Amino acid sequence: MTEAILNGRLPPPVRRSDGVIEPFDKERIVKSLLKETQLVKVLYNLPPMSEEDARRIAEEVEEDIKNMKLRFLSGPLIRELVSVKLLEHGFDKYRNVYTRVGMPLYDVYSIDHSEGYEAKENANLQPNPETFHKKKADFLSKESYLLMMPPRIADAHLRGDIHIHDLEYWGTRPFCQDHDLRYFFYYGLMPDGTGTHTSVAGPAKHAEVAILHAAKVLGAAQTNFAGGQGFFNFTVFMAPYLVGLDDKKIHQLAQMFLYEMTQLYVARGGQPVFSSIQIEAGVPKVWQDAPVVSHGKVWRDLTYGSLEDQVHAFANALLDEYLKGDAMGKMFNFPKPEVVQRRRYWTDSRFEDVMLKAAQLSAKYGSTYYDNVVPAYRGGEDGVSCFQCCAYAFAEDGSSEDFKRKINFEDGAHFSMGGMQVITLNLPRIAYRSGGDEGRMYEILKETMDIARDALLLKYRIMVQQFERGLIPFASQRPKGAPPAVDIKNLTHTIGFVGMNELVEHITGYELHEDPSAQKLALKVLIEMDRIRKTYSEETGLKFSIARTPAESCAQRFAVADMIHYPKYAKEYVKGDLERAMSLYGETKDVPIYYTNGAHVNVSAKVPLYERLAIEQRFFPILKGGDIFHVWLGEANPDPEAILKLNRKLALESWIGYWSHTKDITVCRACGFVGGGLNESCPMCRSQDIRVYSRITGYYQDIASWNAAKKQELKDRYRIRLSA
Amino acid sequence: MVRKMVYAGEIVPLSLSDYLGEPACVVFFSGCNFDCGYCQNWGLKKSKEEHLTDIERVKKAISENKLVTACKVTGGEPLLQLDALLEIGRFAKSIGLKFGIDTNGSLPEALATVMPLLDLVSIDIKAELREESYRRVTRLRSPPVAEVIRSIEIAMRSKAQVELRMVVIPGYNDSVSTVKSISEKLKGLGYEEKASKGEACLNLIEFVPENAFDEEFRRIRNPSVSLLRDLALASGLKNVRITHRGIGISQPVS
Ligand SMILES: [Zn+2]
Repeated sequence: MTEAILNGRLPPPVRRSDGVIEPFDKERIVKSLLKETQLVKVLYNLPPMSEEDARRIAEEVEEDIKNMKLRFLSGPLIRELVSVKLLEHGFDKYRNVYTRVGMPLYDVYSIDHSEGYEAKENANLQPNPETFHKKKADFLSKESYLLMMPPRIADAHLRGDIHIHDLEYWGTRPFCQDHDLRYFFYYGLMPDGTGTHTSVAGPAKHAEVAILHAAKVLGAAQTNFAGGQGFFNFTVFMAPYLVGLDDKKIHQLAQMFLYEMTQLYVARGGQPVFSSIQIEAGVPKVWQDAPVVSHGKVWRDLTYGSLEDQVHAFANALLDEYLKGDAMGKMFNFPKPEVVQRRRYWTDSRFEDVMLKAAQLSAKYGSTYYDNVVPAYRGGEDGVSCFQCCAYAFAEDGSSEDFKRKINFEDGAHFSMGGMQVITLNLPRIAYRSGGDEGRMYEILKETMDIARDALLLKYRIMVQQFERGLIPFASQRPKGAPPAVDIKNLTHTIGFVGMNELVEHITGYELHEDPSAQKLALKVLIEMDRIRKTYSEETGLKFSIARTPAESCAQRFAVADMIHYPKYAKEYVKGDLERAMSLYGETKDVPIYYTNGAHVNVSAKVPLYERLAIEQRFFPILKGGDIFHVWLGEANPDPEAILKLNRKLALESWIGYWSHTKDITVCRACGFVGGGLNESCPMCRSQDIRVYSRITGYYQDIASWNAAKKQELKDRYRIRLSA
Repeated sequence: MVRKMVYAGEIVPLSLSDYLGEPACVVFFSGCNFDCGYCQNWGLKKSKEEHLTDIERVKKAISENKLVTACKVTGGEPLLQLDALLEIGRFAKSIGLKFGIDTNGSLPEALATVMPLLDLVSIDIKAELREESYRRVTRLRSPPVAEVIRSIEIAMRSKAQVELRMVVIPGYNDSVSTVKSISEKLKGLGYEEKASKGEACLNLIEFVPENAFDEEFRRIRNPSVSLLRDLALASGLKNVRITHRGIGISQPVS
């Protein structure tokens, strides 16, 4: 039969994906083109295809098929042929919406077997069946969203001018959120946001239930957000449930929470929730006179200020449990403890215990994050703020609209601090494109930032629409007519950046640590970025901020992209092992070159910590969207008392708003030992079957799963040892 | 002006483990009169031309460092360059830093001279305080054991914090009898009185083979935590501490 059809110059039959075989019909192409190119109107606001054009395309495709020696056709094959024909006619945008998305079978195979670049891209993803599923879905989503965006934005991302983070969630999820626990202690818990697919719990009446609700809030929220989930003011809002409990019980509750957050291994394709909690040692000034919200009530005659003992006890208990680690003695890598630094915690000796335990935790695992609100630019004691997930910062100052109502939880008014989307700029490329001319560089900076702004505004529109249609249901929930859990229009739009060090190096000839002129230029560029940011906020009424990007894969991707597009310059400025990168390139994108994160000093620079501090602290007041200072600890076993004194200096005498102590950890697989340092063998049993953990962009992972660029960064890292 | 020079090979601008309880900058003098096979700073055994540094440069590095509360000089043997040590010590004190040294104890006169400046002195005890034991570790034909004892005595009579450090090397100084003999000696030198005021401690330190200078020492196994603990208890002294990668530095033993 097939022979006869071919001889008669008829197109072969079409094998449909459901198994049915039917004759080719070009009218189907016409119809689908008319229907699907309507998306061009929706996405790019351009006219859809005319019937005349559609018919011409369909006829030409039919003619082409007749000339091919095919024994059968399939839907996908016809679609590819139509797409090619659309491109031949210059109908790029129609092709964008008409094409299929998918991936080579080979890549599917690689993912299922945990091989190749995709397997290593996110160090937080351990191989498991859920992960493989997620990776394939991510691939399809990323490809789709790049096609759906205006080409100007998609091309900027693909070329490596900018990086759109969490692209796989572009059309479905906002970025991250620090939740207000009072909301759930007042209205109860509805994990699906509507109460139709999950049970609905009333407000917690007991401490255990409050802890479980808190854990489940973060788990449920993670299904609606791409990035980290956390609680600001965690110890304060938990306090009303701890009244009358003894210390042992409070420790048990703290332990319960840490285990919940590290064992709910269910989020986003088989991961723990990427979580953080803000640990206040006492009650901050703004909460002193605020009414307690718990047990489904607003207690008009009870203020948080009266619960300071419980807050203090809970902060101690949490840190004690972090210090203990899990049953294997391993650290809890979530929720990240954000220990708040206030002048009072350093001057009132009652809080010495919390400050010391935070230092002990730094000494033992390096896992404490210090959220320093002492510097004036953090808003002092009159605002509410937090650091989230990968060191992004969010704040509401005391003069903001509704601040008082939110403090008092009037009609359910509450704080909702978080990020909508992060877009990172490739700063070194901006310098390359300027040809080394500073004036031209500012122009290109503005152009690039404008693209980022447009992308952020597009994201905003998509998210608000999804939110209003109830498609981000946990975030948009309104139990008992409450205001929505998340204030979608109030999320922050973050413009991040990578490679300030290399930008100034190209323009001035010096890296940040090499000459004051380089530092001066960095500051000037940041001030300009901030000025442009302000215009965006004023024009749109939305929150925009500038942040250093905790660029896990982005610092590497930009370096590789620049080796392709700007090899002449990039060769000089990328950091890492260029020679090895060149020999690996072609086989893999996972090559050991990178740019320096944010406005940090080159990690391999031979400068002492105080010099690094002097340079980097000046950028903090501008980088209100988030930055971090890494105190690289050279020693395997630092002295907690010495760390305590160092912390005091950083808190009270520097402009650093956020820091952590970074220490390497050796884990022995033979005897289960966990301890500091990059040891060659286990100090306890001498086995060489050891794993070494080090910090990657704000959290811990097995370095076996690190990509080559990060491993190189570890090798280059300067350990504050200096030859005079 | 004549430039004053010092053999000071390295500076660790910020150490959180060399000066107990204080973030400290650590200055490494080079040149040593011992030849210990387990030495972990063997690059500094000899005073080399490339280590020569203007003393003003050392002072500048100390004073620029706003993150530290203490300064420690180690080595090598700091007391071999007494004038430079005194100058750095006076300078550190003048800018409000605590000041300490590590010494092998072989130069009691020099120690007595610098003693008034010291807030902390760490003296090595290499082995049982007898010539033949010391000879094995330090590889000197006539090791200055009497001088070490005098140094400990001077330190005990001072107001400074005194840390006596013994790196426990299996096969060299890890027997109960060694520790008992040392502790008897220390009792006679006033250790117990000072330790009960919290001003003196004996620190038994894990020997880390992978860092050792001598091939023979690199083949030795590191001592276990329980060995260090047993020795600490066997000493019968007050305020004995142990340092091991497995549990941290200067941990009290109860
Ligand atoms: Zn082991």
